[in-house]
Amino acid sequence: MTRVLVPLAVLEGESVPPGLIELLGTADVTALGYHELPEQTPPDQARLQYGDRATAALEDVTAEFREAGGAADHRLVFTHDRDQTLRRVAAEAGVDAYAIAGATGPVERLLVSLNGEVAVEAVLDFVVEVVGGRDIDLTLLLATDDEVTGGGDGGPGEEPGRTAAGDRTTLDDAAERLREAGLTVETELAAGTDPFDALVDAATGHDAVVMGERAPSLRSFLFGGEADRVATETVGPVLVVRREDDGADAES
Amino acid sequence: MYTARLVAVVSTDTAESGTNIEGEGPVVEETVESDEATAVGDTELERTLGLTGGLAIGIGTMIGAGIFVFPGLAAGEAGPAAAASFAIGAVVALLVALPASELATAMPKSGGGYYFISRGLGTLAGAVVGLSLWFGLVFATAFYLVGFGYYAVDTAAQLGFALGESLVVPIAVVFGVGFTVLNATGTENAAKLQNGVVALLLSILGVFLVYGSLDAVGLIGPASVPEQFSPFGTVPIFTTAALVFTSYLGFAQIATVAGEMKRPGRNLPLAMVGSVVVVGVLYVLTIFVATSAFGSERLSALGETAMVAVGRHYLGTAGALAIVFGGLLATMSSANASILSTSRAIYAVSRDAILPRWASRINLRYGTPHVALGLAGGPILVLVATGQVEILAEVASFLHLILYGLMCVALIALRRDEPEWYDPDFRVPGYPVVPILGALASFALIGFMQRASQVIGLAVMLASAGWYFYYARDVNLRGKL
Repeated sequence: MTRVLVPLAVLEGESVPPGLIELLGTADVTALGYHELPEQTPPDQARLQYGDRATAALEDVTAEFREAGGAADHRLVFTHDRDQTLRRVAAEAGVDAYAIAGATGPVERLLVSLNGEVAVEAVLDFVVEVVGGRDIDLTLLLATDDEVTGGGDGGPGEEPGRTAAGDRTTLDDAAERLREAGLTVETELAAGTDPFDALVDAATGHDAVVMGERAPSLRSFLFGGEADRVATETVGPVLVVRREDDGADAES
Repeated sequence: MYTARLVAVVSTDTAESGTNIEGEGPVVEETVESDEATAVGDTELERTLGLTGGLAIGIGTMIGAGIFVFPGLAAGEAGPAAAASFAIGAVVALLVALPASELATAMPKSGGGYYFISRGLGTLAGAVVGLSLWFGLVFATAFYLVGFGYYAVDTAAQLGFALGESLVVPIAVVFGVGFTVLNATGTENAAKLQNGVVALLLSILGVFLVYGSLDAVGLIGPASVPEQFSPFGTVPIFTTAALVFTSYLGFAQIATVAGEMKRPGRNLPLAMVGSVVVVGVLYVLTIFVATSAFGSERLSALGETAMVAVGRHYLGTAGALAIVFGGLLATMSSANASILSTSRAIYAVSRDAILPRWASRINLRYGTPHVALGLAGGPILVLVATGQVEILAEVASFLHLILYGLMCVALIALRRDEPEWYDPDFRVPGYPVVPILGALASFALIGFMQRASQVIGLAVMLASAGWYFYYARDVNLRGKL
């Protein structure tokens, strides 16, 4: 079954909106409670003081996920570096995607972005699993700023140098796959605009966003950058489908 | 033999940890260490500090004193042989850094030296060292701040404002308050800044030392007039080594963040030994360059900021400005890193019920340990107000040297009867010679200090022991991981 990591700044009162809990009812969930500390503070010192409180809050969240359907567990981490913690736990728990909670009611419309060099297959598989035959309308978005995509990161991208026609094909193929799985799909191709702006614009009228994780070479994009910015701009939840981790390079 | 070991394990597991007079007991929990995190029960503590971060803490703490404050004072006492004093300091520091590395990889916890000693030698030794370390760091921080004050006054002088030395202490006090408040309220990530500061300092020093060395040996410009190597005899070499040992205190600060280091088995030894080697080489070169520029009498007269004149001698105004700027940065980074270490030292003893639990409380608004920072900052200000550079430095060294000597003893005690849990990733080469020499050298260096420093140091230790008997005599920490 698909497993989703839901990171929560528990001690800052971050909670999961009911719509997201319901949406993830078809998946297993690992709720990751974290507390980010300034470097002056040893993580263990914070754990002594707040560990129990954080665990209690996490247990409540976990119970809610369990009621919604899937299996759910939780982990609690005190850290100086949220992104590093998310990366580590995502890899250890072997999750397929992680969620940025945001705020939303029941999810009826889902925006699926194929922007950037993402693993399209993995994103589509994830969408099919999560929607799981429920009545949720999908919009597939592919936005490119030019005829050539890619952030110049030199990563092993699937299609270096896509063309507009190629984008159309990618989009139609993806839509076809989803329709075969019985889903209702619209497509939207935006060329010549900033992909990020196009994504934020398109998110209006949708309850949540699904996107793919960027190439691992762009580490800031992994957790800190794009997904967080999308979450901030769109307010609603963002689900980020992880890439297959080829060669875990945890060491820096 | 197997049975005997089993019995020993059972007895440590069932023995009570005891409580202090307020009824608080040490927090002893089962932990599972991995390269990336520590698991305590269900909760994980992320390890976020890499090798660079560790080196930056070590070098950043040490470099301020050895390069920017001591050359003038040391040359005044030992002449060009002050280079030998710094070399002796480096050797002593290395003899301790190796055993400390082994202990740190066996017990990669915050608290550093205090933790090893309390677990290896018991609560009394632990309490004396833990509380002495608090004050040792307080003395060291005060020393760095006064050094900073001298550089601030000198910077103003370079810019054309004659402030006079009477402003050294007020400036140091103001910045002491500033650092404490910033650390208690700031949530900015200063670690990256610290790395940058250290990198910048190393590049400034690199250019300066290479140029200065070439000049001094006569490859550029006229060769300097050689002065007698040890104009004051051999004894001053050792007393100076005792004085300047403060320049090597930073490596043990790395052990206070052992619980936050990634891959501790590899990174802790590398960071501790590496930072001592780096600063040791820099110190010796600095003294060589400085004593080649001026005679030791002249250096001595120039005092705490003698290096500025040395910079001017080799590279003109640009050199003087670079050194003044470097000195400001270096003494600031030393002071700041030490305040943070002090707060961690206080947390470590408070966690073990040797100080009240409230001393390690965290402020929910900023997430900072404001009580411990206050307990660090308060005494620092009092000491800064004395303005006694040499006494501050020596007492700091005294208290650290006790810690270092006992760390070596703790290593030997643990190795002689290795407990089940003792499984360091790094083992000291040359055991038992290295820790024995380390202990002897640490204690011997204390013998070369001024009487006043020895008396103050002893008084702090006795007061710590007194506190233990009053407050925490029932607490039992030996072997309590």
